[in-house]
Amino acid sequence: MTFSLINGRIEPGSSKLFWFGFCVLLAAAVVVPHLVGRYTLLNLNSFLLMTFLAIGLAFLWGFCGILSLGQSAFLGIGGYAYGVIAINLAGVPGQTGLAFVGAIGTTVLSALLVSWIIFYGHLRGVYVSIIMLVVTLLFETFLNQTAGPQWTIGVASLGGNNGLGRFSGAIQELPSLKLGAGEAAVLMIGKSKTFFYVTLALVVGCYLALRLLVNSRIGVALAAIREDPDRTETLGYDVRLLQTFAFCIAAGLAALSGILYVSWGNFITPSVFGVTSNILPVIWVAVAGRRSLAAAVLGAAGLQWGSQALALQGEYALVIQGALLVVAVLLLPEGLISISNVVSKYLGKSSNPNLEQMPQKGRDHAA
Amino acid sequence: MLELFIFLYQFADAFALLTLSAAGLMIIFGMMGVINMAHGELMMIGAFGAARGFQAGLPLPLAILAGGLAATLVGLILERLVVRHFYGRLLYSLVATWGLSLILSQGALIVLGPSTQGIESNFGNFLVGDLSFSIYRIVLFGIAVGVIAGLWALFRFTTFGLQARATMSNADMAKALGIDTARIYMLTFGLGAFLAGTAGALFSLAAPVQPSFGASYTPIAFVVVVVAGSRNIIVGLTLAVVMLALVKTAVTINLNILGGYVAMLVMALLVIRFSPNGVADWLQKARSLIKKPSTGR
Repeated sequence: MTFSLINGRIEPGSSKLFWFGFCVLLAAAVVVPHLVGRYTLLNLNSFLLMTFLAIGLAFLWGFCGILSLGQSAFLGIGGYAYGVIAINLAGVPGQTGLAFVGAIGTTVLSALLVSWIIFYGHLRGVYVSIIMLVVTLLFETFLNQTAGPQWTIGVASLGGNNGLGRFSGAIQELPSLKLGAGEAAVLMIGKSKTFFYVTLALVVGCYLALRLLVNSRIGVALAAIREDPDRTETLGYDVRLLQTFAFCIAAGLAALSGILYVSWGNFITPSVFGVTSNILPVIWVAVAGRRSLAAAVLGAAGLQWGSQALALQGEYALVIQGALLVVAVLLLPEGLISISNVVSKYLGKSSNPNLEQMPQKGRDHAA
Repeated sequence: MLELFIFLYQFADAFALLTLSAAGLMIIFGMMGVINMAHGELMMIGAFGAARGFQAGLPLPLAILAGGLAATLVGLILERLVVRHFYGRLLYSLVATWGLSLILSQGALIVLGPSTQGIESNFGNFLVGDLSFSIYRIVLFGIAVGVIAGLWALFRFTTFGLQARATMSNADMAKALGIDTARIYMLTFGLGAFLAGTAGALFSLAAPVQPSFGASYTPIAFVVVVVAGSRNIIVGLTLAVVMLALVKTAVTINLNILGGYVAMLVMALLVIRFSPNGVADWLQKARSLIKKPSTGR
């Protein structure tokens, strides 16, 4: 039952070949930390932790038709909330666990507030995108001017553009996430193999859970909303509630990235709210294919790795990624994943209906 | 009395800032429904063009014009190469122009370096009581009013304006009547780019010119456009700018500059929460109430 739902029609990739590839990739990922040095592992961990942001964005954009240009705002809210709560709970048992729960809660509450404005205000798609971008840029501006002793939450000083953590010069220790208790507790330090394996397990778990969700009745309703919200509403679905639900899921995933980011580097700065932080996940998802959760994960990890390799050569990484984005939406509007669709068609296999071109009219409305 | 003058001066300043930042974006959004994410970069190109032109010895008005034309050229190239493929596909157009914006801003950083340039403002100040005020801000206000009046006249009296309004209200029908809508879209995009570039050139007298120049104006422009809506370009723009400038001025005077920006955003969120089509909708509703009972549409 569960497996048939995971393997449903909405998320592409249900063939034996797909699951074979999935297992090979997973096995490769499990071996990798033993083959690379500590510096590479540190980088791999930072790439991996961002995949939650990407998979949430792909879910929101590709499956629900909601494009948020400020999705990294939720990463920032989650990260800042985790940091502020953890600093204030210094010495309390279960400090980081409470901070984790508090951070997810804060982020989902913010997502609910935003949903009240954008979905319950019946905003058109473009407005949703722009409003999210303006909100996140305002957060950046606000946090950048929070240097100084008057900007504190409890004992946590917000630290202006130095952000929370070690660069603020304050004595505040921004702790890594500690999972479990007593003897069994594991500490999520950015350079550790533990970090890699726990994050990898979370990525796989979130991926499978989202596959379940998009193939469930809720997922089908969300896909219907993407194609035509008015018609779906006429059929008796509560469009706004479903959109709010999807928005909160994506925000929660972004917050998970934010918490892991803080746990990884023990700092967070207002730049996570900036333009660059917000355009990168859009690039990963658009280039890899927004209608596939697996593509989002691979795109996020792969493009981060590629851009870092480029950045070592010079300053061209962002220009190339911008060009990649433009070329992708011009030539491959469904992303690189659509190539696999062409291949499977060529091989005579049934292609995934979710990746096929929708009629122009419906697409305009949703996409 | 002096306080009233300060309020009016600040209001005029905010009015000019909002109008000039948003006009180019507004034209493109109102006509094509496309939000041009590379708007800020077109402003940056205008500012650089003006600064370079001025350094090369052009008189100031010509330097500003040169900035505007440089942005127009870049805008037309972008429209032909990329943007025209995305009319009617709004989310794609957002993403595509955002990619262009990243290319332009980072490209400018690579080509021009992080150095700042600028034009020495030589307009001077005037005194009211003991306080001195910048003459240039008043000039900007005059130009902003001129831009709105000019756009109104353009859409009201010229053939282009007539065809543009026809295309805006029903593109298919306009096309059937022999209007080259693709050309109208291109010209509109060029006009939007020209307005963006000219605004950037005008602001380059008051702010340091650097590759991230546009970033400080785009959020404001987005807020204006969201509040204005796409129903009526001129009316929407004017109403939105007046409302937002009033809020910004009141909060900035009583609190601080950041408070002014936050207040504008809150105002924008409230407006679209309860009127998703923007303020231009209000006027049309009011007008239809006065004229006759609404007949369905």
